[in-house]
Amino acid sequence: MSQRLRGFRLRLAALLHPRRQQREYAEELAFHQHLLRQRLQREGITPVDLDPATRRTFGNPSRLHEQLSELRQFSRFENILRDSGYATRVLRKSPGFTLTAILTIALGIGASTAIFSLINALLLRSLPVPDAHQLVVFDYHEDNDAHGGFCAPLFRHLESDHPAFSDVFGASGTQLQIGGGGSTLVNSVLVSGQYFRALQTPPLLGRYLTPADDRPGAPSGLPAVISERYWREVLHRDPHVIGSKLLANRIPFSIVGVMPEGFMGTDPTEHRQIFIPLAAEPLIDAPYNNIAGGYHSWWLTTMGRRKPGITLEQANASLASVTRSVLSGKDDDADGAADWLKDARTQHFRYNAESGSSGYTYLRQLYRQPLQAVFALCCGMLLLACLNLASLLFARAATRQHELATRLAVGASRRRLVQQLLIESLLLAFAGSAAGLVAAPFIARSLAVLLLGGRDPSIYLDTSIDWRVLAAAAGACVLATLIIGMVPALHATGRSLSSQLKASPLSRADLRTGLLPRLLLSTQIALALVLVIGAGLISSSLVRMYRTGPGFDPHNINLVSVRLTKQPLEDEPLVRLYRSLQDRIAALPGVHAASIFSTIPYSGSTMTNEYSMPSGRITPQLYTNWIAPQYFQTMRIPLLAGRDFAWSDTLSTGSKIILSRSAAAAIFPHQIAVGQHIGSGKDSLEVIGIVGDVKYSDIRKPAPPEGYLAITQNERDKKPSYVFVVRLEGPAAPFASAVHAILVRDVPDIPAPIFDTLGAYLDHSLSAQRMMAMLSVFFAVSALLVTAIGLYGTLAYRTARRTSEIGIRMALGAQRTQVVSLVFRQNVAVTLIGALAGLGAAMLAARALASFLYGTSTHDPLVLALSTLLLAAVASVASLLPAIRAARINPLTAIRTE
Amino acid sequence: MDAILSHKSLMGRDDNSGELIQGTLEMLVLKALARGPLHGYAIAEWIHQSSQQVLRVEEGALYPALHRMELRGMLDAKWGASESNRRARFYQLTAEGRKRLQSESTRWARLSAAVAFVMQAT
Repeated sequence: MSQRLRGFRLRLAALLHPRRQQREYAEELAFHQHLLRQRLQREGITPVDLDPATRRTFGNPSRLHEQLSELRQFSRFENILRDSGYATRVLRKSPGFTLTAILTIALGIGASTAIFSLINALLLRSLPVPDAHQLVVFDYHEDNDAHGGFCAPLFRHLESDHPAFSDVFGASGTQLQIGGGGSTLVNSVLVSGQYFRALQTPPLLGRYLTPADDRPGAPSGLPAVISERYWREVLHRDPHVIGSKLLANRIPFSIVGVMPEGFMGTDPTEHRQIFIPLAAEPLIDAPYNNIAGGYHSWWLTTMGRRKPGITLEQANASLASVTRSVLSGKDDDADGAADWLKDARTQHFRYNAESGSSGYTYLRQLYRQPLQAVFALCCGMLLLACLNLASLLFARAATRQHELATRLAVGASRRRLVQQLLIESLLLAFAGSAAGLVAAPFIARSLAVLLLGGRDPSIYLDTSIDWRVLAAAAGACVLATLIIGMVPALHATGRSLSSQLKASPLSRADLRTGLLPRLLLSTQIALALVLVIGAGLISSSLVRMYRTGPGFDPHNINLVSVRLTKQPLEDEPLVRLYRSLQDRIAALPGVHAASIFSTIPYSGSTMTNEYSMPSGRITPQLYTNWIAPQYFQTMRIPLLAGRDFAWSDTLSTGSKIILSRSAAAAIFPHQIAVGQHIGSGKDSLEVIGIVGDVKYSDIRKPAPPEGYLAITQNERDKKPSYVFVVRLEGPAAPFASAVHAILVRDVPDIPAPIFDTLGAYLDHSLSAQRMMAMLSVFFAVSALLVTAIGLYGTLAYRTARRTSEIGIRMALGAQRTQVVSLVFRQNVAVTLIGALAGLGAAMLAARALASFLYGTSTHDPLVLALSTLLLAAVASVASLLPAIRAARINPLTAIRTE
Repeated sequence: MDAILSHKSLMGRDDNSGELIQGTLEMLVLKALARGPLHGYAIAEWIHQSSQQVLRVEEGALYPALHRMELRGMLDAKWGASESNRRARFYQLTAEGRKRLQSESTRWARLSAAVAFVMQAT
């Protein structure tokens, strides 16, 4: 070892001081020549003959000099440099091949890096707070179902009793209306007292909120903390910001602190701008009150920080005692505790803590599985790209066998040749990866937009590349290089020399029976078929979701959400205002029908009610919605029996309800529901109509039983905020400004209405499915493309080498069709074997997809057949092109070139 | 052993000066340096003299061999003053070189004895 080190040191010295080294060689050799001349002189050689005699004895000094220099070179390193130069020249000489190869790798690496960026952003990255690994997200289990949202009493219990945690905090996102009338909504969050203490991020200015702020009527008034971005963009870095007033939902807050840039709260996908104490909720949510709602309102995400040294298991063990103390509580509270406790005890309620180092976001639950599935597809794509490159390199190495054999014959070692071929593929991999990495952020960003639907600008995903993504990409690159470089290089140099040199291109045609290249091509085809079938299953499932339909016609439905909580009217006068607004909107140009409802489908919020029947039975949970007359007509929900609501159905005429078909069937089996009553006593409702089923919350599940109540009979809410639902045919912009004008004139005091389409909500609710479908189609198309390139490329290379053979065949009378079939035939077996293997593999792999599929069997014969046909068509085109080109060979020129 | 005997890369200028097998040159250099540091010319001279003027080491073989042996750690090289007070590069054995000389001598003794037996056989 030390000898090697010594040699390395001497070589390094020669490399670092090349001139001194050259001088020393020269001096050493000159000294020798000097002594030699002295001896020759002593032996009596005349001065005239001295020079030639010295040269004769000594040989060529400059060659010797060269020899000594070579000894001291880092031969391997310098060979690599030389090989890289050579490889660059070779690759530049065949731009078609080089470009194809680079694009193949770029596609594979770019796509996988982009997907990985998304996975990183959603699933892996930690919150930028100190010791994020100590954070936990709380949920609770009832009969093994996990639920995330907490109600205030359960949260407060946990907040006051948490032996294993240093802090426990709750939060609830809200949109605050800032400033006076006609003002803007700002993405904000209500936070409990220990929120900032748990996140351990010191404020940029002022102070953060403490437990003392989170009490009703706290002495310091109503404090608010703002983000650095809000301070910078809205307040223009006002230096006197601390202590200044902030009017939020008409409640005066005073700003006590500014959080530093990069602080994002606990949800990495939301950029919260204003943080206010949880105790202020009744003020800003008035007339609602989630805190007073007690066990009826489940609205808080709850997190905590473990004490140092406490493991997640220990923390969960300590939660068992908290659970016990909750369940043994008194059950005589007025806020629904009694009912809840009864249920909780029978359903084995318990608190649970999960790792929360990357914060809490509902997107994570939504996208974890689809992203993982897409990543699997993506890995298949990357593998395919590598296989394709390997077969391209195979074909290329075959055409270069003569060159390689010649180089072996003149003394190159096999190691050198393999090294040189590896360097070539390494160069390709680097170039391809670089191109892929450049493209990855763009792909990731467009995927993120696709994922989030671009509907809510406050939602945000940071998909920038970080070290994890880089490591993943580098790993993929090295793997790709090893796979694509090694096999063809070893294969190409592993044949006996003489057989290759002797072989004429004619007899080399027998190489096409090489097993490995055909195996590679078959594997590619199998893999491509798996990807195509996967994409087919996912897309047909998506199409079915849209086609089986939600039960209404979502096209051209526009939504106008208004907030009427901050204007003076209530009860009947407010209903009259709604009616006049609906009438005027319905009269606008392009509007076919207009109505009002309270809960937007697929918005994530639902309202459910149960009614106790006179018989003592309790109805199933009904998904309910407050609606105005003409609602069913506007939504195109069929009215199956009875009648629609009318404006004359007021409180004095008795409460009415309209049921969906499945609700009617569940409550009144085998009876005529219209005219019957549900509920009892003063809650009794007369059923006046039956309408079609609608999938309001999840299009993938069967429609739940539904009930519709009239906004004219809404006793629960004095100042309800509803949504206008408008079937509009025509441009949206003039409609929006017309609605704006109506609202400004009639109710000038409310924040600007929010315009939306129902289609956007529907798309958004299916965004995970849509993303999967689009990506799987993207991968499938790429896979087909790459496979076509592979089939075409290898066949074209092979055919090119057989040019003269084909020429001879044609000269001897072969027909063009025979030539076409001769060439075409070569890919048929490969494709057939690949397709069969692919079908088998797809059947197995599709099982993993089953949970994502809606109404589609994993063995859907149509999808399987169409996918196979598509693949066969692509393979045929890719194989026909070289065959047709071969048939165009002019026999004379072909034979002459040999 | 036959690998050495059959090696084609031989040195020597004419037929009667004798041909030197490659590995053998290294052994002779090691032997020349056994008594102390020498420069290249002196090594060639010493081998010429000690072989009764039979072996003549060609410079084109000597210097690559010296440098190779230096890189392999058998020799150390230092610049010093020659008898004529010119700067010359002196080579000297390292511990590794000494060990190598030992093993090469033993091997050579066995080899030459064996060849002698063969040649004397009737």
